[in-house]
Amino acid sequence: MSGLREKVENFLYREARLMDENRFIEWFELFADPCLYWVPANEEDYDPNTHVSLFYGDRRIVNNHVLRLQEGKAFAQEPRSRMRRVVSNIEIEDGGEEVSVHANFIINEIRKHEQRYHTGRAHYKLVPEQDEFRIRYKKAVLVSLDEAQDNMTFLI
Amino acid sequence: MTQGDAHPIDYDALVKPDAVHGACYIRPDIFAEELKRIYGRGWVFIGHQSEIPDAGDYVRKWIGLQPVLFARDKAGKYNVLFNRCMHRGASICQNERGNVGGFRCEYHGWFYRLDGALQAMPYPDAYGSDFDKTQYNLRKPARVDEYRGFVFASLSAKGIALTEHISGPARQQLDYACDLSPDGELIVRSGATKLAYNGNWKLQMENSIDGYHPNFTHQSYIGTFERTTGMKFDMFNGDSSVQSRDLGMGATNIDSRRYSLENPHARARLQSLQKSSWGKKYYDDLVKAHGKERAEEVLIINGTHMNVFPNLVVLAQQVRTIQPVSTERTEVYLRPSLLKGVPDEVNMHRLRAYESFYTTAGGGIHDDVEMFNRVHEGLRCNEDPWLIFRRGLHREQVDNDGTIFGQGTDETAQRAMWRHWKSVMQQELEG
Repeated sequence: MSGLREKVENFLYREARLMDENRFIEWFELFADPCLYWVPANEEDYDPNTHVSLFYGDRRIVNNHVLRLQEGKAFAQEPRSRMRRVVSNIEIEDGGEEVSVHANFIINEIRKHEQRYHTGRAHYKLVPEQDEFRIRYKKAVLVSLDEAQDNMTFLI
Repeated sequence: MTQGDAHPIDYDALVKPDAVHGACYIRPDIFAEELKRIYGRGWVFIGHQSEIPDAGDYVRKWIGLQPVLFARDKAGKYNVLFNRCMHRGASICQNERGNVGGFRCEYHGWFYRLDGALQAMPYPDAYGSDFDKTQYNLRKPARVDEYRGFVFASLSAKGIALTEHISGPARQQLDYACDLSPDGELIVRSGATKLAYNGNWKLQMENSIDGYHPNFTHQSYIGTFERTTGMKFDMFNGDSSVQSRDLGMGATNIDSRRYSLENPHARARLQSLQKSSWGKKYYDDLVKAHGKERAEEVLIINGTHMNVFPNLVVLAQQVRTIQPVSTERTEVYLRPSLLKGVPDEVNMHRLRAYESFYTTAGGGIHDDVEMFNRVHEGLRCNEDPWLIFRRGLHREQVDNDGTIFGQGTDETAQRAMWRHWKSVMQQELEG
């Protein structure tokens, strides 16, 4: 079990670093095919086909999102946010073919001299691939999921 | 101009036919006057009746800065109630939405029914035998009315009817949105995504019907769309047949009727829609409900893109409410509008389309928000404080229905909004 924990932690820390550094393409490579990425709005859980989300997408939709952020003309990221994430409170359930992971995150963001924090808890379903994992499913539940937001033009 | 003001605000000097002074966005005294005149007297959008389908459902709303509750009572009627206990002034409802049997003020336990009637208060003997409970019902706006489920309130007993506030051409635009449903009804209860920005509420009104900005502000979205689909997005080019339109009473529209009806891609949607079984069912049901001609017209035009002054935007798959907070801050609540009586897939696609552009973590609207923040910063420069709304002024035309229109990138709609704003701000207040 300690070997699994270390592998999961390393994987989440790497994902956080790629997001911190706006390395969108490398971040997207962490996802499995097919995959699902979900950032709920208003409530923590519901049917995303009848209730709106801040983000809800399969591989194609996530890919479009990454392409757009990569393009350099997303003005809400000009200048870019400087960010560092802390990932903690990691709980792991080994399901064999799929590892279920819950982890808290704190995103510290500074953009245009304004400092903001975005916090929440993410649920991952990871599938083993080679020596690490791919993300089959990621659901990032923000503490501020029901609040008015200025700008979240970055990866959560 | 209000009688007795030491320094009346000269709106003629601030709003010209082709330019608006920056003071209209940042002066606190003008903001206070807006709350009194625009939000304190005229028709203000509250919500869509489908937000509260069942008895006991409520959603918190605002009229200007005043908190109200939009609640469905046990008789099935919707009510707009001030969120303020008649006893000692505490707000009686703390959650943004929910379902309750009535509203209990938790300060001293006064209990109100969903229609606002005071039902009971603890230890009533102490109020004496001549205490008339009916005098202490929750207060309501003087007038409440609706058009196709869009509920509005006015705090003034006098004034024009809602059907005058929302002109015939404006109602026709709302009809395009509603008639996408075979039942003719939108359903607005799929949650909300909420954004906030530093700046005046009118920045969002100007932007919602701005056909000039998409090719620039939304380059990243349009560029990605073009590269991933291989299609050209020419709707907001300077020579497109989209029109910027003044619908009257400050209501405005990016009118894509002509553009869509002439556009082979828009017409091709009728065929591509019918390739799936759910799409075919939707098409057939719509034809059955509205007739083939109207059904195809609404499918090709595909909703509307409009403002109803001062705080409602209906566009694409959404209903947007603009909420002034101060000269420095505005919140915008965006709610997906789904269609009643259609296959689930139709509404699922509406949700996904909404999310791709209109959430703060999505693809488009945060670039608008960024521009509002930038305008607000720029407004601190006093050297030449004018914002120019001149585009297309020389080529405006009057249409058969009396509405004024220009080319899609023209600022006809913004000028219309500002003309109406000025006329409301200059109205004499009675009494």
